[in-house]
Amino acid sequence: MDSGSGEIILVFASNTRILSAEDFLEERSAPFVLIPVPKEVNPNCGLAISLEEGDAEAVLKVLAEAGLLPESVYYRRGDEFSPREFPWV
Amino acid sequence: MIYLDNGATSFPKPPGVLEAVLAALSQPASPGRSGHRPAHEAAKTVYRARRNLGALLGFPNLERVAFTPNVTVAINLALNGFRFRAGDRIISSALEHNSVARPLKLLTETAGVIWDLVYPREDGLVHAADFGKAIRPETRLAAVCHASNVTGAIAPAREIKEALGDIPLLLDVAQSAGSLSLGDLGSYADLVAFTGHKGLLGPTGTGGLWIREGLPTRPLAVGGSGSRSESLEHPDFLPDALEAGTLNVHGLAGLAAGVDFILEKGAAAVRAGEMELLATFLDALGAVPTATVLGRAIPIAKRVATVSLNLRGWSSSDLAARLEKDYGIMTRAGLHCAPLAHRAMGTFPGGAVRFSFGAFNSPGEALEAARALAALGKEKN
Repeated sequence: MDSGSGEIILVFASNTRILSAEDFLEERSAPFVLIPVPKEVNPNCGLAISLEEGDAEAVLKVLAEAGLLPESVYYRRGDEFSPREFPWV
Repeated sequence: MIYLDNGATSFPKPPGVLEAVLAALSQPASPGRSGHRPAHEAAKTVYRARRNLGALLGFPNLERVAFTPNVTVAINLALNGFRFRAGDRIISSALEHNSVARPLKLLTETAGVIWDLVYPREDGLVHAADFGKAIRPETRLAAVCHASNVTGAIAPAREIKEALGDIPLLLDVAQSAGSLSLGDLGSYADLVAFTGHKGLLGPTGTGGLWIREGLPTRPLAVGGSGSRSESLEHPDFLPDALEAGTLNVHGLAGLAAGVDFILEKGAAAVRAGEMELLATFLDALGAVPTATVLGRAIPIAKRVATVSLNLRGWSSSDLAARLEKDYGIMTRAGLHCAPLAHRAMGTFPGGAVRFSFGAFNSPGEALEAARALAALGKEKN
């Protein structure tokens, strides 16, 4: 994604947590996409949640309220990844 | 065939269970092990089982449900978390299945644990007050079967927990899950061990353990988890910490569908149907004077749909064999893997014949079984 805004990637420790988060966000029609975990940030074999940068704060807030926070959050622009801090994570 | 052995495993399974297992077998199944679509679908299948169980049994946090191959492994897993030491005490009822009794016996031998038994009273029921009286300063856990697989007696789990206070309650719901309305288990039990193939109507090879937040956990096995792949240490977060190796996705697909069936029908409706079967059978046994029902005084409201009995002049094995041969009625004879319960009820070592009804039995089948018993009773008296 390199269209002016960046991509926010949520990485979860457990597969069960990301499935709970997926279920929770789908029920709320929240905007997100599942992607394979980028190997640049995490060696696990499963999935991560990708968000438009502008949607990240609202999505993370509802995930925090549901007790479904990710283990880490990354900002991606092109091939560059950097950790991103959010107050709830 | 009249199948009255649902306490061993439920039959038939709802059509949706067969369809779900077949569908799961028809695609790749590597939950959480890859990022492709079929792997994600397999992971969602496992998640559906977790979510459905949470909804039916009242588990507030799905990450604290660990799947196991059966309830026996779930109970061993629960006990393993406590790291018992010499002098620690564990209370159980005297109606426990060997799935609880044998691990406790082993702990007395290997860890020096003291095992305190609470016996049923004259009414055939265990009473919460007796658990309260059994508590000692060293008591670290109570392990209780929610419903006896021999007499069908329901233990007053909520009241037992009130009597226990801060002492954790491990509840074995093998015979009650799916048969009783248990939507609030997480509000009073501390650990819940379940099996998927009885009242929950799923396939064999499925079961699990729910663990309240804050209680200790320790895996029975470590290995692949699909998480923390960079580390040689097994992850310490649930459920991964307790789910080493690829899960039984095909079985869990069926379990999710079995629980779906109960959720759609309503647990209260399942319970009402089983109580009707129980009432029909017990009432019809009034015409079988040579039958001795174990725990006959237990009211229907405090039983699951399980009745064990002996018929004067018959061994339990001969009676079960004749019921099958002459009437096509499938029951279970003997000790039902519950020697403690049979000792408590005075039927050790001969055991009894168990009639366990399920969601798909009809009152007509219950009457047929009672008629068969009446005829066989006359044969030897």
